[in-house]
Amino acid sequence: MAAPCGRMASRYVIQFLSTFPRTTSRMIVGFRHFSSSCECRVAIKTKSVSEPVSPSPYRLAAAVCLQRLPVISADCAPLEQSFKDMMLQIELEKSLLSDHELRLIEDADRLRRKQAEDYDSDEEDSHMDQDIVLAQDLEDAWEQKFRNFQPAPRVRDDVDKELNSVQRCLTDSLVLVAEQTVGDQKLWLLPQTQWQEGETLRQTAERALASLPVGLKATFLGNAPCGVYKYKLPKPLRTENSLGTKVFFFKAILSDSSPSTPPNGGLLWLKKSELQGYLKPAYMMKVGQFIMDL
Amino acid sequence: MSLAFTRCIFRGLPQYVVQQSLLVDGHNAAKSVICVPSMTLRTTVPLRAEPKKKKKVDPKRELMMRERLKKRLKKLEKVPPELIPIEDFVTSSKCMDEERTRSAQVVSFEENERRALLLKEWSRYKREQHMAEMKSIESALEAQREALDELKITSEELYQAALKPDFSLLPFTHEGPAYTPPKSQYEAPDGNIMMQPGFILSKSVFIMQEHCIN
Repeated sequence: MAAPCGRMASRYVIQFLSTFPRTTSRMIVGFRHFSSSCECRVAIKTKSVSEPVSPSPYRLAAAVCLQRLPVISADCAPLEQSFKDMMLQIELEKSLLSDHELRLIEDADRLRRKQAEDYDSDEEDSHMDQDIVLAQDLEDAWEQKFRNFQPAPRVRDDVDKELNSVQRCLTDSLVLVAEQTVGDQKLWLLPQTQWQEGETLRQTAERALASLPVGLKATFLGNAPCGVYKYKLPKPLRTENSLGTKVFFFKAILSDSSPSTPPNGGLLWLKKSELQGYLKPAYMMKVGQFIMDL
Repeated sequence: MSLAFTRCIFRGLPQYVVQQSLLVDGHNAAKSVICVPSMTLRTTVPLRAEPKKKKKVDPKRELMMRERLKKRLKKLEKVPPELIPIEDFVTSSKCMDEERTRSAQVVSFEENERRALLLKEWSRYKREQHMAEMKSIESALEAQREALDELKITSEELYQAALKPDFSLLPFTHEGPAYTPPKSQYEAPDGNIMMQPGFILSKSVFIMQEHCIN
C-alpha cells in the first residue's frame, strides 16, 4: 500500500520540478539518490521514460570481432575415420556394378577368350570399336593424370607458428586481436574505438576495423551487437562523466584472405584456445561467450 | 457494213467508249459511239464487290458459338488432370539388370558385431557434439541479449538503430572449406563436368573427379 502511494507522490513531484528547466537535472540527481534509498525503484524507470535521460556516466566504445573462417576441412578424429571407412565398405557391399566396372569385367573376359587356344574372331565383330581402348587403359591414364596434379599442402607447420599470418591453421577459425593502449596500459584486445556523436555503434565498429594498419575487408553480420563488456575505471581516475567504459562487440567475417601488406607486429590471429594467453580473464569471459569454436 | 460487223464482234469484249469527235471521219457528221476493246491492264479499282451485310442474326449466331465453346471447355476441365510421373520414384531398368549384382560377400559375425558397436559409439559421439553446439549457440544468444539490454539502458536511439534490419547483408555468400587450400596462380584446365542421368557411384569415380580437390 505504501509503495504505490510513494510512486504516485514521486511522479507528481517530478512533474512539478520539470517546469523549472535549469534546476531540473541537479534536483533530479538528488531525487534519484533519495528514491534509490527507499524502495520505489520503479519510480526511476517511469521517470526516465517521461523525461529526457541524463547522459550516462559510461563512455561508449565499439569493437569488432573479426573472424577468418576455416579454409580447409578438419582432419577426422580416429572414431570419425573408422566410421567413415565402415560406411564406405557398407556402401560398396550394397551397391550394384557400375558401367565402368561392367566394362572392366567384359574386357577381362574377352582378353581371356582371346588368349585361349580355340578363339574365333568372327564372333567379336560387333564389338570392334571397343577393342581399341580397354577400360583398364582408361583407368591407368586417369591415375597418371591424378598423380601429375600436385595439390597445395594441407598443413604447413612453419606458417602455423607465425601468429600474425592470416594463413595459419587453415582448419580452424581465427580471431583478430590487436594491441591497443587503453588509458595508460598496453593491452591485447579486440580492435576498438571510441564512439562519436551522430554515428551508430556499427559505424564505430567499421571505423575501428578501418583504423587498423592492415587493410582488411570484412562483412559485418547485422546491426546489433553480439556482446558487451563494461568496466569501471579505478577510483582515482573516476570523474563525473566517465565512470568507466562500455564496449559493444560486433561480429564480422573476413571477405578476402589475401595478405596485401606485410604483417604487423600489433596484430595477431588467434584460435579460441590461444586467446586465453593474451586476453585479460574478465574480458575473456565475456568475449568467449560469443566466439564459437565450431 | 464494216461498222456493223465490228460492232457485233466487239459486243462480247470489255469495251471502252471513245468519243467520236476525236476520230476524224469524213463520212458521218453525226456523233456515234465507237467501242474499243480494252485487253490492257486494268487500272481502275474493282467496283463490283459488295460490303458484308450485318444482319441482326449474326450477333446471335456469334453468341451461340461462344456458348457452345464454353460448354466444351467446361466438359474438358471436368476431367481430373493427369499426374506427371516423377522420375525419381521409378526404378530405372538399369538397376534391375541381373548382370549388375555383385558377388555376395558374406560378412563375418565378428565384423557385424564390430559394426554394431561402432554405430553405438558414433551415436554417443554425435550426441556430445550436438550438445556442445547447442550450448555454444545458447551462450552466444545470451551474450547478445545482455548486450542489447545494456544498450537499451545506455541510449534509446542507439538501441533503435541496432534493432534495424541490415539489408546489405543478404544475399551473403561464403565459400565453404575444401579438402586442400587454394593454390595461388593455378590455371584450371578447361573442361566440363559430365554427369549422366542415373549416375551410379563406384570406386573408380573417385579417380575421375580430381578437380574437386582444388
